[in-house]
Amino acid sequence: MGQIVCAWQAAIGGARGLRVNSGFARMAQLFPQYTNTLARIALPCLALGFSVVAWAVHAAWFSSYATEVNTPVEQPVPFSHQHHVAGLGIDCRYCHTSVETSAFAGLPPTETCMTCHSQVWRDAPILGPVRESWTTGRRLRWKRVHDLPDYVYFNHSIHVQEGIACVSCHGRVDRMPLMAKQHSLYMRWCLDCHRAPERHVQPMSEVFVMRDEPAQAAAASRLASRGELRGESPPIFERGRQAVREKAVRDTRLEDCSICHR
Amino acid sequence: MALTAQRCEQVTDRLSGLVLREPLRRGWLAGFALAFALLMLLNVAIPWLLIRGVGIWGVNIPVAWGFAIVNFVWWIGIGHAGTFISAILLLLHQQWRTSINRFTEAMTLFAVACAGLFPLLHLGRPWVFYWLLPYPDTMALWPQWRSPLVWDVFAVTTYLTVSLIFWFIGLVPDLATMRDRAERPWMRVVYGIGALGWRNSARHWKRYEMAYLLLAGLATPLVLSVHSVVSFDFAVAIVPGWHSTIFPPYFIAGAIFSGFAMVLTLVIPVRAVYGLRDLITERHLDHAAKVMLATGLLVALGYASEQWMTWYADEPYDAFMSHNRMFGPYWPVWWTVMACNIGAAQALWWRRVRTSPALLFAVALLIQIGMWTERYMIVITSLHRDFLPSSWGMFHATVWDWATFAGSLGLFFTLLFVFIRLLPMIAIAEMRKQTTEGRE
Amino acid sequence: MSTPYRASVPTPGASPQWRSLDDLARLEGGGDEFPADASEWPDALSRRRFLQLMAGSLALAGTGACTRQPREEIVPYVRQPEALQPGQPLYFATAMELGGEAFGLLVRSDSGRPTKIEGNPAHPATLGRSSVHMQAALLTLYDPGRSQGLMKSGSPATWEDLLGTLTEQRARWQERAGAGLRLLTRRIASPTLREQIARLLTKYPQAQWHEHDAAFPAPPLPAGLRLERAEVIVSLDADFFGSGALHPRAAFDFAKRRRADHGRLYVVESTPSLTGAMADHRRALRPGELADFARGLARAVREPGAEADPWIPAIARDLTEHRGRSLVVAGEFQSPEVQASARELNEALGNVGQTIDNLPPAPGPRAAALPELARAMHSGEVEALLIFGANPAYDSPADLDFNAALEKVPFTLHHGIYFDETAGRCAWHVPESHFLESWSDARALDGTVSIVQPLIEPLYPSKSAHELFAALLGELPADGYEIVRSAWQQRPGGGGFESAWRKTLHDGIAPQTGTVSAPPAQGATTQIPPTEPAAFQASLELIIRPDPHLLDGRLAENAWLQELPKPFTKLTWGNAAHLSPRTAERLGLAHGDVAELRYRGRTVRAPLWILPGHADECVTIHLGHGRNCAGSVGSGCGFNAFALQTSEAPWGGRGLEIHKTRERHVFATTQEHQRMEGREPVRVETLGKPTTPPAEAAPAREETLYPNIDYGRPSWGMVIDLNTCIGCSACTIACQAENNIPVVGREQVLRGREMHWIRVDAYFAGSVEAPQLLHQPVPCMHCENAPCEAVCPVAATVHDHEGLNVMVYNRCIGTRYCSNNCPYKVRRFNFLSYNDTHAPQLALMRNPEVSVRMRGVMEKCTYCIQRISAARIEAEKEARPIRDGEVVPACAQACPAEAITFGDIHDPESRVAALRQSPRHYALLAELNTRPHTTYLARVRNPNPEIA
Repeated sequence: MGQIVCAWQAAIGGARGLRVNSGFARMAQLFPQYTNTLARIALPCLALGFSVVAWAVHAAWFSSYATEVNTPVEQPVPFSHQHHVAGLGIDCRYCHTSVETSAFAGLPPTETCMTCHSQVWRDAPILGPVRESWTTGRRLRWKRVHDLPDYVYFNHSIHVQEGIACVSCHGRVDRMPLMAKQHSLYMRWCLDCHRAPERHVQPMSEVFVMRDEPAQAAAASRLASRGELRGESPPIFERGRQAVREKAVRDTRLEDCSICHR
Repeated sequence: MALTAQRCEQVTDRLSGLVLREPLRRGWLAGFALAFALLMLLNVAIPWLLIRGVGIWGVNIPVAWGFAIVNFVWWIGIGHAGTFISAILLLLHQQWRTSINRFTEAMTLFAVACAGLFPLLHLGRPWVFYWLLPYPDTMALWPQWRSPLVWDVFAVTTYLTVSLIFWFIGLVPDLATMRDRAERPWMRVVYGIGALGWRNSARHWKRYEMAYLLLAGLATPLVLSVHSVVSFDFAVAIVPGWHSTIFPPYFIAGAIFSGFAMVLTLVIPVRAVYGLRDLITERHLDHAAKVMLATGLLVALGYASEQWMTWYADEPYDAFMSHNRMFGPYWPVWWTVMACNIGAAQALWWRRVRTSPALLFAVALLIQIGMWTERYMIVITSLHRDFLPSSWGMFHATVWDWATFAGSLGLFFTLLFVFIRLLPMIAIAEMRKQTTEGRE
Repeated sequence: MSTPYRASVPTPGASPQWRSLDDLARLEGGGDEFPADASEWPDALSRRRFLQLMAGSLALAGTGACTRQPREEIVPYVRQPEALQPGQPLYFATAMELGGEAFGLLVRSDSGRPTKIEGNPAHPATLGRSSVHMQAALLTLYDPGRSQGLMKSGSPATWEDLLGTLTEQRARWQERAGAGLRLLTRRIASPTLREQIARLLTKYPQAQWHEHDAAFPAPPLPAGLRLERAEVIVSLDADFFGSGALHPRAAFDFAKRRRADHGRLYVVESTPSLTGAMADHRRALRPGELADFARGLARAVREPGAEADPWIPAIARDLTEHRGRSLVVAGEFQSPEVQASARELNEALGNVGQTIDNLPPAPGPRAAALPELARAMHSGEVEALLIFGANPAYDSPADLDFNAALEKVPFTLHHGIYFDETAGRCAWHVPESHFLESWSDARALDGTVSIVQPLIEPLYPSKSAHELFAALLGELPADGYEIVRSAWQQRPGGGGFESAWRKTLHDGIAPQTGTVSAPPAQGATTQIPPTEPAAFQASLELIIRPDPHLLDGRLAENAWLQELPKPFTKLTWGNAAHLSPRTAERLGLAHGDVAELRYRGRTVRAPLWILPGHADECVTIHLGHGRNCAGSVGSGCGFNAFALQTSEAPWGGRGLEIHKTRERHVFATTQEHQRMEGREPVRVETLGKPTTPPAEAAPAREETLYPNIDYGRPSWGMVIDLNTCIGCSACTIACQAENNIPVVGREQVLRGREMHWIRVDAYFAGSVEAPQLLHQPVPCMHCENAPCEAVCPVAATVHDHEGLNVMVYNRCIGTRYCSNNCPYKVRRFNFLSYNDTHAPQLALMRNPEVSVRMRGVMEKCTYCIQRISAARIEAEKEARPIRDGEVVPACAQACPAEAITFGDIHDPESRVAALRQSPRHYALLAELNTRPHTTYLARVRNPNPEIA
């Protein structure tokens, strides 16, 4: 080791006409003292910065901006589920007729609206588009709120059949003046139920009922899947287990890609 | 003492001078221009690939992997020589490595950069390449760990990182020298930042030596692991001609073989142009050639054992495959591989060849062609006729296949030329050290 | 784009006639792209555009993953039709006509768009099976190349304009009693249309009706074959599994017989045909020899004696031993004397009424043939020519010189689905409605009548033949529905009309319209026997046949059929002149040479295809190619064989010379190599002989590093019976229609990038002179130990719990590793953006239950997983297991021979499980221990000991 140093001094010395310390003198001018501190700070900052960026991306991805959760969508007619469901107590299936038989729950034809609105609110201005559609025969164009990618083949009828309540995915629509997504509809969110259906399934009698239990179950389930319940199972899951026992849900294949993707 | 100082000074002065004082040489300019032109070609080929899709290449069913994979394996292979020289030879106390290690480490970096390009480009949907990385995504999905391609990702990225750090640590003392000798202030600052405030105290040297040694220890297994993993891409598959247990050692030998060939094709002209014959001497060439000969024989052994296993296993598909390589539609490929990798390498038995730069250059060039063709043979002639005769087909490279390949060469040489201009291509500090040790 | 950099490698020394010539690293430039995106270098790409694209792509490369999909809309009905449920398909019975015969169909409608065609199980001609043409008819409906507007001498016009002109014309016809008025149609299956024609002919007594159908010259008489009853069948060049009117019924019945007890099929033919491939004994004779053979056979059955040909006494004995249970069929393209010998044989053997019925021709007036019309036109007798559906400007014999004749006709009107060669030469062109757009009716071979009901409003302002005829006659009603309905009202029918009408619409066939038998028809065909001048005796014989897929070119614009590999050659996007290896050797011709065919003073340049199993000293060419006004898809691929056709010998004859040119041609074929290389992918057994155990038995290796998935029930599997598969490729097209599989175009096929999920491999076994022709449909094997799954880095292809090997398109990043590792090479990759996303019509056509794959993802057979899911969901709603046969993949549904069986292999009751117990059962490449769920039943031969 020693010889290396001497070799080096010899080298620099040779370069500087044997004025051995000159090198350091110049260096001070080149970089002021505090650069050392800077360098020391820089290292942890880099590590910190990286994790901050990673966190930010993650947060953005799950933010309501990306997922559009709780952001009402403007519609040709400001239809209020709150009024029709909570206020008038109309059953989901009155308008969404094919929810039990088809993949698509179905949106009511103008005819359905007019069954009532030819009698009540006959000339309310907000219903103008509906009346116009009825008279002109031009169709109403609603904006999709729950829009899955085209490679996802979601089927309403089977979910309803197996006891997944409307509330579980669509939230308390009876409290929504304007329709808005309640969940990200990310695959991760779907899997939360497909991996543990017994936490979500409802008794058949409550599928079309607007209640909070499914939401609570879902919340608990998310905690559970994050392992924050430390294995203990909240009583809310019991309803689901009961229901699952009643109609043997084939949950072996629920995680198969082919269940949703073709 | 004074003598040593003088000699050290000379070395330092010459090597740093190559960067700091050397005027732009016409040779350098011409070379750089050519390399840059090829790089621009890559600059067209890649966007076009992204616009149209991998269909612009010759790949098809059954030959779904083409030039991209061939080039990937070839470049990765070339990278190996650098790490081998700087890490393994260091641990083996091979002094002669000193004058070429910096250069070959740079070569490694650039080669791995080129190699890393291809697996990404050859994807059908390159913009979702990050699905290969494990991260908590919105789909709650992870990569499929059984696939060698996932192993590749980790192998190559690790390799790149370690080689980069290794190279940089090695550079630190020299950057300090450059800093001290640069005339223009801004250059001093730039080099100074790189030098990380190296003040050459014994403590610095102690840490430096330790770090360098540790990294060498870290890099050594990588030399073996990376190309083993790359070879798994083939060995794991059931394709006749791929599904073979000898691939890892045989690939590593091949890698170092082609790597040293590349080292020589680069070093021989450089030492001529920059008059470094006294630093990179015939002795260095001789050593490199010997390594090449040794690894070349290993490769030959690989070919031989492949044939022998085919015969011994008496497996109809394998038998057909090896026959098809020799006499099938792609027969010239096989014979080229044999001629270059086994035939040409034998010339290295003669000292005259090993020590005459011209001949050595020629042999090295042949070997590189041979090794590229070998990868072509492995990838394409294995795929084009596999199990069901009804699905047999042919691969025909398109303009864009060649453009991308040439482009990657352009990238490699551009980086190399820039490196020669901006950094000392020979490790100054180590040379000094050697000189002094030479004295005592 | 041309690729100068193809690996410059000579080809190996394999015997030339077997190896395809794409091996020679030559790829000719140009080529028909479909869609335009599929080309590496788009035509006419400006520098500016190129740079724009590049810039765009760099942006894409960065942000491609994080773009938000556009806000979609839901547009509900104003009044929702009853029985329609959004998201649930509906099925309607209808019928299509081909060659003057009806084929009953069942068509799926997804939210008002017909998306899939199947056979109607109630219909005698289809029995629920289908053919390539029935499947491909869907694409014709949505084809962007269809004629989209009424044209008057090349410029757009309106229906009213035409009506005006017709009133004038009618006046003229009136005063001249129709003299000079001629109708030209294809063979017609619609009783209503025949009635309309009859009315026209009575209204204008001097008018004449001509019939021209280049693909179906005559009804395939004697028609009513009962193949399921025939134990010994002799085919004299009768390709009843081919594209004729008998297929697919013939295949169905034949398969039924083969499954029961094998029976025996002798085929004597000149060109390898699907029927020949099924034969227990196949003999290749050129037409001249074939006639002698037929005569000899008839003689041998009459009075058995010494025959020069050892086959004749053997077959004769076999026939006489099976009186009333045998059958002799002569091909529809054969000369009258061959037809006569066949009829004589059947009568001598007492087969008439047993295995063969003579069916009555359709009622109504008879039509004259094309030559008379041409003569009249040349002599200027014709004043008005109304062409319905036919395309004589392209598909008429060259000697008639129809185009010149057409010049002489003052008033010409063309009614057709495409603006084709004839349309371009006629004063008026009226776009024809597709049968899925219009009302009509159609009569099947046996007299069964069905109503053709539309599933969608006409996409363009087109008219059906009925509506146009109504306009010609100046009749009311003018609307297709009313015309057909009123016509049916006038027919005698028991009970209330409305209920009968509704029932007929629902069932797809009218009750008791099917007639059983009739007096033996005389004069089977109206063809004149080919005259053979002595000068021709020494020369080669020319055989002209309709293309197996494009027929006489009427389907040339159908990209599915253009890209559907032809039987044996697996040739796509073009045709060739086929000749036997020996003849080629004698003449010093090589596969892929372009030669000049000179025939009776006419010449055409054609690439040569050397086809094993072809008769010596004769050359076969196929019609339907080389069109110049077919459209963007069909124009300019192949050569036009009509240039050699003569009206007196339309199906060829002696007098052909071949002159080799320097030019070479590269065929776009999907199978380059047709030897089995001793790997026996197709197993052939001999009836009676003990089944030979496969050379390499499947290893019973169970140990694996990974947990074995325990497949509960169902565990889906497929068994393909190679003994009944006739290799017609109906499965391939059905799959293409069901699964939104794109067409890639000629150049991409040349590069080996065709996309078919189920391909039909063809092999030649045995000697080059008399090879055995073998077929093998190959879909995904859905291996339990799937090699593809282990290597996918992103788990885009995985196994599910129903034993399916699932391909998740939206997860695939396109490493193509799975394809490399697939020993069956059944995976297909979107190397470029093959799916045409520009044409809105094609968007309507797609099956909404199947993802449309984007560029850069792998795809493959899914066992029609959309159908499995539908069945599973229904079953779970009813809380019951899925029944056997409830899930039918598109290929199995289409297969006319029911050779494909699908079901749960773990269900001991299922048909699949039963078939897997058969001694003929084997798995492809079983030695690789992939444990495929798609397996095969070996082919069986039942040779006649006297011949074999």
